Amino acid sequence: MLDFNNIITITLKELQDARRNRWYLIYVLVFTGLSLALAWLGMTGLGDYGLAGFGRTAASIINIVLLVVPLMGLTLGAISLAGERERSTLLYLLAQPVTQLEVLLGKYIGLAIALFSALVLGFGISGILITLQGGSAEINIYLLMVLLAFMLALVCLSIGFLISSMVRKGSTAVSIALFTWLLLLVFGDLGLMGTSIVLNLGVDQLFTLTLLNPMQIFKIAAILNIRGSLEVLGPAGIYALRTYGPQLLPGLVAVLAAWTLVPMSLAYFSFRRTGAL
Amino acid sequence: MRFRFFQILACSVFLLVLALPTSEASAQQETVHIVSPSGPYTSLSAALEAAKPGDRIEVHGGVYDGPLLVDKSVELIGIDWPVIDGNSSGTVVMLGAPNTVFSGFVISNSGASLDEENSGIAGEAPNLVIENNRLEETLFGIYLREAEGSIIRGNYIQSKDLDLARRGDPIRVWYSDNVLIEANEVKKGRDVVLWYSEHLTVKDNTITGGRYGLHFMYCDDATITDNLLAYNSVGTFMMYSRRLQLIHNTIAYNHGPSGFGIGLKDMDDALVKDNLFLANRVGAHLDNSPREVDSLGTYEGNVFAYNDIGVNLMPSVRHNQFSSNSFLENQEHVDIGGGGMTKDNQWTVGEIGNFWSDYAGYDQAGDGIGDEEYSADRLFENLTSRHPILRLFIFSPSSQAVDFAAKAVPFVRPQPKLTDSQPLMAPVFPEQLPSLPEESNPLFVWISAGLVILASTAFLRGGGRLTKRVKNHPPSPGHPEVGIMPLIQIRNLTKRFKGTTVVDRLSLDIESGQAVALWGPNGAGKTTTLRCLIGLLPFDGQITVNDTDVRKQGKLVRKQVGFVPQELAFHDDLTVQETVHFYARLKGEASLQDQQFESILARVDLSGHEKKLVRELSGGLKQRLALAVALLADPIILVLDEPTSNLDVHARDDFLDLLLELKTSGMTFIFSSHRLEEIATLADRVLLLKNGKIIADCPPEELSDQTGWNVTLRVLLQKKDLKQALNTLSQHGFVASPNGKGIRVKVTPGHKGRPIRVLSEAGIQVEDFEIEQLNGS
Repeated sequence: MLDFNNIITITLKELQDARRNRWYLIYVLVFTGLSLALAWLGMTGLGDYGLAGFGRTAASIINIVLLVVPLMGLTLGAISLAGERERSTLLYLLAQPVTQLEVLLGKYIGLAIALFSALVLGFGISGILITLQGGSAEINIYLLMVLLAFMLALVCLSIGFLISSMVRKGSTAVSIALFTWLLLLVFGDLGLMGTSIVLNLGVDQLFTLTLLNPMQIFKIAAILNIRGSLEVLGPAGIYALRTYGPQLLPGLVAVLAAWTLVPMSLAYFSFRRTGAL
Repeated sequence: MRFRFFQILACSVFLLVLALPTSEASAQQETVHIVSPSGPYTSLSAALEAAKPGDRIEVHGGVYDGPLLVDKSVELIGIDWPVIDGNSSGTVVMLGAPNTVFSGFVISNSGASLDEENSGIAGEAPNLVIENNRLEETLFGIYLREAEGSIIRGNYIQSKDLDLARRGDPIRVWYSDNVLIEANEVKKGRDVVLWYSEHLTVKDNTITGGRYGLHFMYCDDATITDNLLAYNSVGTFMMYSRRLQLIHNTIAYNHGPSGFGIGLKDMDDALVKDNLFLANRVGAHLDNSPREVDSLGTYEGNVFAYNDIGVNLMPSVRHNQFSSNSFLENQEHVDIGGGGMTKDNQWTVGEIGNFWSDYAGYDQAGDGIGDEEYSADRLFENLTSRHPILRLFIFSPSSQAVDFAAKAVPFVRPQPKLTDSQPLMAPVFPEQLPSLPEESNPLFVWISAGLVILASTAFLRGGGRLTKRVKNHPPSPGHPEVGIMPLIQIRNLTKRFKGTTVVDRLSLDIESGQAVALWGPNGAGKTTTLRCLIGLLPFDGQITVNDTDVRKQGKLVRKQVGFVPQELAFHDDLTVQETVHFYARLKGEASLQDQQFESILARVDLSGHEKKLVRELSGGLKQRLALAVALLADPIILVLDEPTSNLDVHARDDFLDLLLELKTSGMTFIFSSHRLEEIATLADRVLLLKNGKIIADCPPEELSDQTGWNVTLRVLLQKKDLKQALNTLSQHGFVASPNGKGIRVKVTPGHKGRPIRVLSEAGIQVEDFEIEQLNGS
């Protein structure tokens, strides 16, 4: 029933839109610029002591990814349907022989490719810089890092689409997306920290609660990937690795995948209900 | 008597010879025995049996069976790497005589019993030299017991590949003072254990992949310099010893749940100087060190970089002095177990402090020392010291938010755990530290470059291919056979928005080739009906189009229907050409040829505008574009929502002409309108909607009769002509009345021009005219 030609057509259109989208361009510039700056800072002064390398820079890259990538995914996702709905182009699009699922998937894939390009550009350029400066890296760690960042982008894109499917105005959607971003970035964690202190949560409880935040999942998976252990995260990290062992990383990736699929499914049902209006 | 003198002399000389094996006398008397698979000796034990103390035994390449007991003080020299194979049982080589030199061998396959401490080389005599050997697949490597003054130098030791718990120690020194351990390479062992031995020197060794790189206990006055201790759980753990000197080592990447670069327990008067602590879980861990009240721990010129924790002090630790150290980008520079302050430890010694990479002060004097004191008062660190579980939030922006909040709101700022009154402005790096193994991978740069190219390609070319051809869709269903059943059937269509019924049980049949107008005031349900018809909105009731159920197969219906919405919403940043191609692809006309494209544009009079952006088009041109898109893929029905409402008079006429042409070619129309002339021109049938219901269904000419509504034309004339005009119009059957400067005439829709014509024919000049608002609409 799905018409892949339609999906491809909408995907290509979405890519073209991204290329002309000021915000997307700014995100790309910011992300690439910050990655480059980090890579460069990671090299200067310490390079001669064998302190340079992707692992060094990666810790800061986790921070940059946590800041920029969810912002990209959430806002681009949120504006995607709501913006077109506001401009009535969504109505016109849906008046064509396409299904809502095709529109949703086409747009999602288009934006996913756009985000992937942004990530790959940032990682790629900093990777080149690190290597040219004599830094080192393990390729599988580096590539897995790109993949994890991409998964985080997909999660946030899904949440963005969910927001977008429920809202009629682009500006409302972006506001909600920004609020969600802050919630995931800071307030959720702060709440959890407070809860942990007040209720004296155990390591297992805290770790499990943390998995409710896709940003934390990404962070834990990224640290595990780079360091091979979670001891930097203290008792909860050590608990997680002891309990789940080699299944931890695949497990975290699976949770990220669930975080992508569930909001996206909800977005589809919501979109079915609201339609073009 | 004389004989007895000579006897004593001979004995003395003999003893002297024995005692001075390296003296000239012995060199002159040394005999060289050759062992090789082809002789003269083919076994080591045979050569040993024949050898006298001080002899040299050269062993050539080949495999020799262990175990080997060396109970004479000889030099055993391997040439071309002879292998002594322990056959996986017991200890392979035992050195039991002092001053034995053992060099150049490959020792392999010891037993695997931890209880028996199966070793590659076990030395139990003083002044042994164990040099340049390779130990492979041995449980313990080199094991010295009471072997003072011995040298372990230049050996390569790789332990059996076992779980850490089942591995042995690559080097173990037990009750042996003054031992030199130099330039060995140790991989994947358990611990290099140095116990109960004083004045040890450990230098230039590389120890990686083990549990404890070095493990000291009760070893006073040890010197550890220029070693590389990396990728172990603990670089070196030192306990219960005095006057340790740990200088100029690289201690890196030591990790594990209790991983430390160095750990000191009960260590008095230790000097830790010019070392690099890089990326360990904890750089230096201090537990009850120093232990004695009058002793001191000194840490100077070290670099603590990229550790999770730079220096970790257990709660009771005091009397340590830290100066000239560089703390660089550690997750936490200094952690105090249980929180609190680093009491009685000095972070400024004399006038010299340390470099702190998070120091935000400045140096106005330019003397290399910050003008303000450095004070470690991060709230998040304070929290994690008291609640280690919160370390889970490290690397999260939330942890930075906590610190930021503490900076902004001073009363939640914790007591600083340490202050440094003379912080250095620049880090100090020890020169020529032992370097880490090179890991550079040339593939990496290529993969990075590949990623960039991939990104650029997707970025630059993505979407530039809207005109690209893809596989053709299956052909759309053909035109319907006229007359068998209505082309459009609507049964009990009901649509509610938030409790308001917008369309109420509407039923309707439309035959193929009909042009049906939906007419009614705003809010009558015209637009909603049209949107339901093409499946844009969920609805109750049933609609079939060309025998296809709209709710079940909306997409198939939309394939047969061209839709022109009231509000023209194209993607503004596409050109006309791109727009047409985009929708053509969605409609399954993937391979739109240039010729077809041109004819489509020509059909709606859009030729010449191909390259224009949609946003540059006038309203009339946009409407044409919408019609062009609607006509793609040969629809059988055109659905138009207020098709001319946004157009000026001229554009409206042109557009209606276009629609008329289509009508003559047999197209079925359903459109909404509140312009009577549009309906009169185009419609065969008018449905009058009110509150979501059809209240009239008639040909357009009968609309006024059906409704009692009429159109009033206001004709403006010169004052002198008014009377004559009234008469003329009355004569022609019009109902006319004067109105200010003009005359009001009632006309029927579709014949609004007649009064003007009549007046003209009568020679009356019409200055202007306007159509007044429709009664009741």
